[in-house]
Amino acid sequence: MTLFIEDGAPVIVQGMTGHQGMTHTARMLAAGTNIVGGVNPRKSGTTVDFDGKQIPVYADCTEAKEHTGAKASVVFVPPRFAKGAIVEAIEAGIGLIVVITEGIPVADTAYVVELAMREGVRIVGPNCPGLMTLSANSDAKGVNLGIIPDGIVSRGPLGLVSKSGTLTYQLMGELADIGFTACLGAGGDPIVGTTLTEALEAFEQDESTKAVVMIGEIGGQCRARGCAMAHEHMTKPVVAYIAGFTAPEGKQMGHAGAIVSAGKGTAQDKKEALEAAGIPVGRTPGQAAALMRKVLDTLPQL
Amino acid sequence: MDLYEYQARELLEEHGIPTPKAIFAQNSHEVDQAAEQLGFPCVLKAQVKIGHRGQAGGVKVVKDRDDAILTSEEIFPMTIHGHKVSGLLVAEAKNIIHEYYVSISVDRSSRDFDVLATANGGTEVEVIAKEHPESVKRLHIGALEDFDLEAATTMARNIGFYHADVDQAAQILLNMWQCFKDNDATLVEINPLAKIGDPDDESSKSLCALDAKISLDDNAAFRHDGWQRFADPVHSDPFEAQARQHGLHYVHLTGEVGVIGNGAGLVMSSLDAVSDAGKDQGNDIAPANFLDIGGGASVDVMRHSLSIVMSDPQVESVFVNVYGGITSCEQVANGILAALDELGESKPIIVRFDGNASQEGLRILNDSRRSSCMYATPWKKQHRKRYVSLQPRRRHVDDTVY
Repeated sequence: MTLFIEDGAPVIVQGMTGHQGMTHTARMLAAGTNIVGGVNPRKSGTTVDFDGKQIPVYADCTEAKEHTGAKASVVFVPPRFAKGAIVEAIEAGIGLIVVITEGIPVADTAYVVELAMREGVRIVGPNCPGLMTLSANSDAKGVNLGIIPDGIVSRGPLGLVSKSGTLTYQLMGELADIGFTACLGAGGDPIVGTTLTEALEAFEQDESTKAVVMIGEIGGQCRARGCAMAHEHMTKPVVAYIAGFTAPEGKQMGHAGAIVSAGKGTAQDKKEALEAAGIPVGRTPGQAAALMRKVLDTLPQL
Repeated sequence: MDLYEYQARELLEEHGIPTPKAIFAQNSHEVDQAAEQLGFPCVLKAQVKIGHRGQAGGVKVVKDRDDAILTSEEIFPMTIHGHKVSGLLVAEAKNIIHEYYVSISVDRSSRDFDVLATANGGTEVEVIAKEHPESVKRLHIGALEDFDLEAATTMARNIGFYHADVDQAAQILLNMWQCFKDNDATLVEINPLAKIGDPDDESSKSLCALDAKISLDDNAAFRHDGWQRFADPVHSDPFEAQARQHGLHYVHLTGEVGVIGNGAGLVMSSLDAVSDAGKDQGNDIAPANFLDIGGGASVDVMRHSLSIVMSDPQVESVFVNVYGGITSCEQVANGILAALDELGESKPIIVRFDGNASQEGLRILNDSRRSSCMYATPWKKQHRKRYVSLQPRRRHVDDTVY
């Protein structure tokens, strides 16, 4: 178990038969993920061919879980139906729900996140690139849940958690020669199922992860402090990058959560909070990668 | 989306929260009529989506007709903290006995809804929180919770409303919560929630929302008819409007370098890179816009994006930064060429590709022999300096890493 999921765990895809769902299910399968079913009540009983592999479509998550023993679900359902789809997965008892969908109303997210916490279910996202783990066993493939491109990195000692999709790929690329245990996209919305802080805690628990790269962005005010506090309880070094030093106040920068309001949530504030807690912060992705290399040099051995 | 005060008070009224009588006016003639109807003295309040308008001279009490017209003619042309005044709210003046502050907002850290309140309202809550932290109460409403009158009454007592105000305050809290939920708001703030009336006549006193700020969740627009009732065609930026039509995330900024990329984080990071390079070079060149083409952008998405950015007269050069994950750099390259075909080549473009199909993308640009394009990969410091240089250069492809 690297992060929230075991190698080879059976996975279903909600919204598999849509355009995004089809594209990314094919990619996830190609990356070695054990996709065992899709969910779409209107196409229940049919199968979809992915390069010769037949993936059955079920009416709902409960039926899918009964037939496949699914441990995780990846959600590509459009925003207006996302809340219902996630509630369905929680009620079916699926332990890990990775929500890729962008544009879910925050009230809906608040509802499903609280329900998931009550039921002991982990949500990753929404509005995130997903979760990718790399197997410790060189014969086995890891699990790729979402849209993180396969093949950028291989297994290594780093963990990565990020508010942003593309910057995740950027940092993965910069540190590709070192390698990762897992990369988790926490998502760019104001409320997410797994916060940066929770991801740090999970990487702290994971034996093979030796250091963590954290990518943040403007918006909110408590996250950086939360991370700084979490870091006090961490034995592993963390290096951070934050995007949006030049973002003007009051303008939402693409992500629903990325907005500096009333002078709060600036990149500079976050940088200072993190640095005060002993977390070095790069001014560019390249600089963050260089800082991580320096940190790794100080570790006894990997 | 932030609402103007006059729109926010409309929503409060719809949810049974008392507000002073007020009329929205767009010229001094309308102000005159409105003031006549409401009586003197009354208050003229500049409608801008930014705080501190009072200190900037955007709120004035007027005592008669001449005063109203002259004052309104002063306020209408004002720009307050960079925001043009979009109109005036003419409101009846109230005798304020006491001021409370109450807001409901989305709480990112506790992942529920936050009620922030103080019995010492009037000024900004940040100031109060600094000077009298003990007086600011923070309470939570859970997403699965049933917030009812009983819970609202307990909350009103906890906030420290005076005994005589608790019942009305509880009803207002409950109505605020309903307003917040029904409208998919991310913020409903009443400041001040004032106790008004004749100080000597107990029966005349009541609570009234004298000013309000409401922000709505853009993601929820689909279940509110696209928020059409709050559309602001006159005062919206033409480039932002055009981008919205194509479903692009665009923010107009003040600099000279157009910035286009895939993913909000990468675009923000690119803005930082451009500003930093401007500082390094000592010419203070800055980004002209934020434009996120999103994941898996097609040729057309890139074509529209570049057309919008290039048509901005403020833009002197463009920096395209794409890390291909789902997005194919090949599609982006074809989009760039399609836009250049339409526009002609007027401004230098600096392109950085990495990841999915980056080599193919660079080859397409290279083969096209556009004199205005310069390409660089990967994103290294020596290139970043060039990203913001404005002179068109000879074509330059650095594909040494691939």
